[in-house]
Amino acid sequence: MTETLDVETEVPEKASQEGEMYTWHEGMEWNPVERIILERRSVRKYKDKQVPEKLVRRILEAGRFAPSAGNSQPWKFIVVRDREMIEDMEKYVRLRCKVLKFMLNWQTSPLGKFAWLYSQMGARLMPNLMHPIPFGATALIADGKLKLFHGAPTVILILMDTRGAAKPPVDVGICGQNMILAAHSLGLGTCWVGFVEVFKFGTKWNKKLGVQWPYRLVEGIALGYPVAKPDGMIERELQEVDWWEDGRKRTVF
Amino acid sequence: MAYLTFKERTTIPTYDNPEHGTSGRVVIDHERCNGCGNCALICPGDCLYVAGVGKHKKCYMIDKAFPDCMSCNDCQAICDRDAIRVSVTYDFGYFYKILHRGELAYPRNF
Repeated sequence: MTETLDVETEVPEKASQEGEMYTWHEGMEWNPVERIILERRSVRKYKDKQVPEKLVRRILEAGRFAPSAGNSQPWKFIVVRDREMIEDMEKYVRLRCKVLKFMLNWQTSPLGKFAWLYSQMGARLMPNLMHPIPFGATALIADGKLKLFHGAPTVILILMDTRGAAKPPVDVGICGQNMILAAHSLGLGTCWVGFVEVFKFGTKWNKKLGVQWPYRLVEGIALGYPVAKPDGMIERELQEVDWWEDGRKRTVF
Repeated sequence: MAYLTFKERTTIPTYDNPEHGTSGRVVIDHERCNGCGNCALICPGDCLYVAGVGKHKKCYMIDKAFPDCMSCNDCQAICDRDAIRVSVTYDFGYFYKILHRGELAYPRNF
């Protein structure tokens, strides 16, 4: 007599392969796109080696095909690969940051209490720009401890067409993120540089770069080969998400 | 209920006052750290420095009540030896109070 053994065989889940795309099953490894998104870190130290022109052109293509409201494409790119020009920009922004630090940083400013008053007023008028982080960065740039483009050999400036459909600032952000993810997938490092906005406190660069109505300079992207290996997964705070389903609300993290 | 009280909404924190908020903080495992200095090189807030000679060359966080650490965790990403990571994330309180965040966690593969 033979007994049939009831052996529980583990049904192997579909073996997960690296590089799987356009599909999902439980326990799947990160696909290449997810990996680029999760591992991408801001790079703040670049090698001197210039980025090949073709590579920059390829990255710009990723920006060109970004989605935008009503396909309005409210952006214009300026590529700067001239080292002297980049250094000039850095000097210019550093001088402006020195003035801002003098006016607003009550800890170091000879204006003392007045600087404190200006900063409190400024924070109410421009709460985003006077957030403690950019406020601290202004002082670091003024002291020469933080370089505007972190010594990157190539800089892409993004101009926003203010006449764009619906929400051009959002479209510009999407476009920039496209380029940044493409750049990291191609082995480059990038960093968003919002401090280029300081150019608006003067005419020199607006004139030289042709920033005029309807355009506004909103963001810069530093581009280059990173020193060491800055990309990698890190810990970050979970986000509290309100989840509505079956007529009730749950909170998930 | 409002997410911020009236007082919180109208008070701009004084950034250098530890009672108003907290800055980011990192913990460094000195057993693992070999003082290569990559993290100090890329720190956007200029919060890290390397000190010591030879075997005792280690990375430290600057001794300041309010360092410019923005808890970006780039130092953790660049560290080959898994010796540094952010332990406290920044929260400046009052007007800039951080809302609706949880614990620190790595990307979760659902």
